[in-house]
Amino acid sequence: MSSVEAHPETVGQGELRRTARFPSVRWFELLGDLMNRQRSRFEHLGYVDCVAEFCVTDVVPEPFVVQVVFEEFGVAEVRKPMAGERERADFRVEGRLVTWREMIESIVRNGGRPDLSQTLNYLTHMGTPMRVIGSDPIRRDLYFRYAQSLQEFFNNAASIDTQFEE
Amino acid sequence: MAYSNEVLHGAGGSPMVATLSGREPQEEALARYEAEFRQHYTQWMEILQRNAERLARGQFSLHWMDTSGAQWGRRAKPSSRGLTYADINRVPGYGDVPELASWLNFAPRGSVREPYRDEMPIVDDYTVLERDELWAENVLSLYEEAKARQWNATRDIPWDELTPLPEDLEKATCQLCTALTEVEFVAGDFPSKWMYRIPQDFLEVKSFLSTQIMDEARHQEVFRKRAIAGGGLLHASPGAEWALKAILCAPTHTMGTFLLNLLAEGLVLSVFRSGEMIAKTHVDKEIFRRCLQDEARHVSYGVLEFQWWLDHQPDRERALETLHRFADVGEQVILSAFTEPTLVEPIAILLGGGLAKIDAGMEGMMRVWSMFIDEYLQRCERAGFDRRSRCILPAEAPWRMAA
Repeated sequence: MSSVEAHPETVGQGELRRTARFPSVRWFELLGDLMNRQRSRFEHLGYVDCVAEFCVTDVVPEPFVVQVVFEEFGVAEVRKPMAGERERADFRVEGRLVTWREMIESIVRNGGRPDLSQTLNYLTHMGTPMRVIGSDPIRRDLYFRYAQSLQEFFNNAASIDTQFEE
Repeated sequence: MAYSNEVLHGAGGSPMVATLSGREPQEEALARYEAEFRQHYTQWMEILQRNAERLARGQFSLHWMDTSGAQWGRRAKPSSRGLTYADINRVPGYGDVPELASWLNFAPRGSVREPYRDEMPIVDDYTVLERDELWAENVLSLYEEAKARQWNATRDIPWDELTPLPEDLEKATCQLCTALTEVEFVAGDFPSKWMYRIPQDFLEVKSFLSTQIMDEARHQEVFRKRAIAGGGLLHASPGAEWALKAILCAPTHTMGTFLLNLLAEGLVLSVFRSGEMIAKTHVDKEIFRRCLQDEARHVSYGVLEFQWWLDHQPDRERALETLHRFADVGEQVILSAFTEPTLVEPIAILLGGGLAKIDAGMEGMMRVWSMFIDEYLQRCERAGFDRRSRCILPAEAPWRMAA
């Protein structure tokens, strides 16, 4: 478990480059860090109060799972859930590594805005190649209530040098 | 000391002259208005006379500084995100929402109002007096979220990036926007119709409904703008009109909220998600993504308002049967909107990628329909309303592919 706080790096020219492997807790922490430094941008989008679980289904030796706790306009915590903590998540977004990779590469290639066919909603809407899961429809619908914020959370991947698992 | 007619009534001789919607009022309506206030003349004139005389004597009342009967001194403290309704409702004396509203005027809940009860008017339009017809356990947080997540259809959409699409896709986009503009009107009109009937003891619900009205105003605005910026509005939808009328005319707030927020907005949420997916420009992506957030908030209120209502019915079985009867009609009428070619065909064209691929698009529509039905039934179940065995909406899309 680790809380996400703003580090001294700055976004923009002269910044320290962020490098992380995907998928990893560190990679999501960097996104959380970026979100927390852009308060005015995310404040404009409004509150985000949910626990989102993201899953890469086909990495070995087991699926990669991370929970991101969003509070108000930022990320309060990024953690790998322990056994029995899955219910803490309001919803889970899951897909294969190749799908995540294509989405992230599209965001990077376009400077922070994915191609039309690489948005979170595009990828999840039909249940393939990604899907949104949640046992409680009220909690699952938080994914829709915060759609813009979640998309912009991932759009910050453009500021990360991402190395992918082969 | 008595005041002259001019002082009390103004130079015009009567305080009753008013305009309706800025136009010259009809004589009949004005006569009713005059009669209404003349009927209670002695009540309000007594108050006016009393106060005017005191002022004329140069005296002050200062009775309002007496804090007996008030909650004075119990100060609300802000939480991390400011001072919310939840924060002030934690202060004793302010957060007690009555099961039955008995103050049919504007006196604030938690104020010193009992001594003045007999002098106050009754607002006859306040007719929704039962908390359980309105309340939802998430209404306070939804209100805060709604305020924080407002957006501006003029400024927040990158309109300058809008470029013309091939004609079939542009027409499909504009037709979809025309249909959605039509639909979004009722989603604002329904809460508007009920909001003024709700007394202020249920101020939190009124506040949330006002955000829903604003959301829907913005939705009709953004879809109207998108259509006109892309080519123009196209065809109205008679089938949709019947569905919208069924929502607007729902006999109770809870029934209408079930039909609008839970069923129809749940369906529209699916349409918006599809709209984001099939968008051919970043402008359209942004429009649909912003709208679907608002829609999901309305769905959430619909589910938990319905659940609250069911959980507080003295005869739950009878309440369930009543709602099943209502849903039997509501589902059928709603289907008249979602079989309209003005709605189904543009989505199919956009899903398929062009008029020539409309059949492929219909296959996608069939998958979306199945997902929607499943989500609708899940939401009913979440509210405590098992609709699976009685649902009139077909589990499979109500159309078949041409041979």
